[in-house]
Amino acid sequence: MGRGRSPRETLAFDPRRRRPIMSAGGRCCLKTDRHDGFAFDAAVLSEDADLEVERRKEILFAEANLGRWTHWELLGIPWGATAAQAKAAYLEKAKAFHPDRYAGRRLASFRARLERVFRRLTEARDVLVDDARREAYGRETAPPDQRAKLELRRLEDERRVAERRARLARQNPLVARASRVGELVARGRQALEAGRLAEAANDLQLAAGLDPANAEIQALAADARRRAATRRASDLYEEALAAERSGRRGAALAAFREALGSDPRHARAAAGASRVALELGELDAARAHAEAAVRAGPDVAAAHEALGAVLEARGAKKDARRALERALELDPRAEGAKERLKRLRWSFLG
Amino acid sequence: MSDARPVIGIDLGTTNSVVATVQGGMSRVIPNRSGQALTPSIVAVARNGKRLVGALAKRQAITNPEQTVFAAKRLIGRRWGAKEVEDARRVLPYALVAGPEGNDVRVQLGDRTLSIPEISAMVLAELKADAEAFLGKPVERAVITVPAYFNDGQRQATKDAGRIAGLEVLRIISEPTSAALAYGFGRQTEKKVVVFDLGGGTFDVSILDISKSVYDVVAVGGDTYLGGEDFDRRVMDWLTFGFARENGGVDLRTDKMALQRLRDAAERAKCELSAAPSTAIHLPFLVGGGEGKSALHLDKQLSREKLEELTKDLVDRCIAVTERTLKDAGVRTAQVGEVILVGGMTRMPRVQRAVREFFGREPCKGVHPDEVVAVGAAIQAHALAAPGGKGEEVLLLDVTPQNLGLLVVGGYFQTVIPKNTTVPTSQTHLFTTVQDDQTSVRIAVLQGESERAIDNELLGEFVLDGIRPARRGEVSIEVTFDISADGIVGVSARDVATGQQQSITVTATSGLTEAELKKILDEQRDDLLEKKQSWKELDEGRERALAMIHDIEALVPAVEGALERSKFGKDAIQKASAVLVRARAAIEARDAAALEAELEPLDRTLQLFRGLADGRPGGR
Repeated sequence: MGRGRSPRETLAFDPRRRRPIMSAGGRCCLKTDRHDGFAFDAAVLSEDADLEVERRKEILFAEANLGRWTHWELLGIPWGATAAQAKAAYLEKAKAFHPDRYAGRRLASFRARLERVFRRLTEARDVLVDDARREAYGRETAPPDQRAKLELRRLEDERRVAERRARLARQNPLVARASRVGELVARGRQALEAGRLAEAANDLQLAAGLDPANAEIQALAADARRRAATRRASDLYEEALAAERSGRRGAALAAFREALGSDPRHARAAAGASRVALELGELDAARAHAEAAVRAGPDVAAAHEALGAVLEARGAKKDARRALERALELDPRAEGAKERLKRLRWSFLG
Repeated sequence: MSDARPVIGIDLGTTNSVVATVQGGMSRVIPNRSGQALTPSIVAVARNGKRLVGALAKRQAITNPEQTVFAAKRLIGRRWGAKEVEDARRVLPYALVAGPEGNDVRVQLGDRTLSIPEISAMVLAELKADAEAFLGKPVERAVITVPAYFNDGQRQATKDAGRIAGLEVLRIISEPTSAALAYGFGRQTEKKVVVFDLGGGTFDVSILDISKSVYDVVAVGGDTYLGGEDFDRRVMDWLTFGFARENGGVDLRTDKMALQRLRDAAERAKCELSAAPSTAIHLPFLVGGGEGKSALHLDKQLSREKLEELTKDLVDRCIAVTERTLKDAGVRTAQVGEVILVGGMTRMPRVQRAVREFFGREPCKGVHPDEVVAVGAAIQAHALAAPGGKGEEVLLLDVTPQNLGLLVVGGYFQTVIPKNTTVPTSQTHLFTTVQDDQTSVRIAVLQGESERAIDNELLGEFVLDGIRPARRGEVSIEVTFDISADGIVGVSARDVATGQQQSITVTATSGLTEAELKKILDEQRDDLLEKKQSWKELDEGRERALAMIHDIEALVPAVEGALERSKFGKDAIQKASAVLVRARAAIEARDAAALEAELEPLDRTLQLFRGLADGRPGGR
């Protein structure tokens, strides 16, 4: 102990000091190579205890570093060591720092010091043998070069996790279906608002098929379908009228029939179909269309007019006259009906 | 016998106790003065007023049930009024009374009222004397074992018993841990070991990691109400119900004497069935027939199958507890490197089979279930008495057996140090006030497994005052629990804001107050002084005896050589060494009368030895 100041001097230097302070910054005196320039409290080193000087130094050095060392450093294992390594190191350290190793000896202040060190050792062991806790602690205590790497890996991991989650969502039929229904309904509503009824009906119909239990979607789809059919029927009707005017009777008949396909209750389309069919000499078809027209639109003059025309063609003049009169009653300006009735009366008179 | 001051390990059992020591690196069980390894944990005051301990006490138990104390371990460290004590009062034939402060249990024995530690101390003193006779040296230090589930109070009471018996108790350790120490001693083992300890009164499981000389206790578990006695009770119930059916409803349970015989017979039958497939239970003249009829006899045949059927749920419970303990410790059965069976009940084939099936491996056969605990205690005692710097001595890293914590608002228990924490340890938790402007707080330190504070054991309490008045919940109180390597619990509380601090060292109440303990120890000192005086008078006798012992020992090698080929040789040597042991014991015990009686045999032995040695000069 001759290398530093004498114990007496140390006591005088700081008599109030009870134990070495964690970051003993050159306050004291004794130095050893093994403990890397650490300054030992000579008063403690010369305490009346049954312990070798080297042992004392080891204990003091460990105790002074408790607040500074990481669990890894305390156990003397590299950062990131395995649970098994941590455990083995703990058992090895326990042999040096467990108070029972010194049972029966005079330990003076070293008993409490040993216990302090041992407690920290146990704490370190408890953390480092538990996989989850070790990983978290490893992140906290990573050396600078490792920290950047670790952070990078963590970010990469996070990104991968997010990606994986998205991929899973896409692949998962349930998740995929739910998101697709949402998409379709939104698009359907948009189309509906914009008046693109056919598109809306298609989307909503698909959505309803994917989510048959959803009553709201079902109603929405039915409504869209109905509106789209009506729209298509009236479009076809206009098309048929145009064809009729330009004398393309075949095309007109086909268009009228198609309109009826979309909207069987389109009375004017039925009447038109009957009219064209009659002109084409398809008497039976004309009659069926005329009857359908009257059934669908009992208040539609054109329907009664068509029926009248068919009946006239079949020679049922009385019935034809009644039908035409009904048409005129509903629409006094129905020129066709007026003409036909006049002709019938004439023939009747004649 | 190189150890200057030998130390011993004592397994203080419910039914039997064992003492062991370590000599020259070898562990060994010390036979008692009647040559048995097991000493019954029984104390009695005989009709003639003499105090009897061990086998002698057991022998007269049936004829003297009121004055024979057995199973004291079930009462040690218990409070008067506790469930266990109430149960015991119903079945025990001896009288229990409340202690002077009304909170512990005393036994009325002869004209004295003795505390339970004093009863246990008599057994310990007997074992100590056995060890001294065997080792020929005074023994002052010991390690004593207790069930893993013993709480602080029970451990403290056991320690007091040791003190009363004149022993410095180096450490109280758990029985299963001790068994593991004995298992690993001198084996250079590195594996996980499970100790399955089914004793007379309790069931303990411990998991240890043995790594050469370091024994790391990973977890302990158990059931304090499950043991061999429960098995006996099943057999007793079966016998009593059968008896009542066959004899017109005679209830044997109303007759204490009959009950005691029944208990013995049930235990004996159970033990016999471990070796035999069937056994006869024969108890003649068990009870009087009443009304002038002749006495009734009990004659029954019990098969192993029937016993297994009667006790199946008990075995299942053992396995369930084992499973839970392993799960708590996160250990799979496949990781277990050895299973050690401890306690007499593990001799039962059904128990062994259950263990084998659960662990999928054969339990260790290398340890003696009755002796292993005492041997482990001796090993730990040896390590604590003479720790070598070589690092070859065993090091036991023990854990806390139960949760330690505080009483918190609502009558709940808040754990601060959970069970299975390696000691020494310290933990700090923050608590707060529950009322506005609360200036003091009561810290009640508890130990136990229940969430409700009232079901746990109160270890001690203190008040922290001088708290800064503030709204409730705004004050931070830092409570630190600290357990030293010796198992001493310290608790301190600090108001973080004001720095006001209060702390206690929890000395669990063993039932005996410190003053009482002192009185008992003082009485014993008086006793010693008395003996010393009588010793003085017989100083001359001692000198003579010591001289003869010395001469005899010097002749032993020569005599051994002379007798080597004689078939009586062994016998002669043994007889001679018995004389030496008795003489030494008399010297140690300062028993003048006994020494006087030994002088003559000593002299005879010396003459014999001299003759033998002279007849074959040069020996071997």
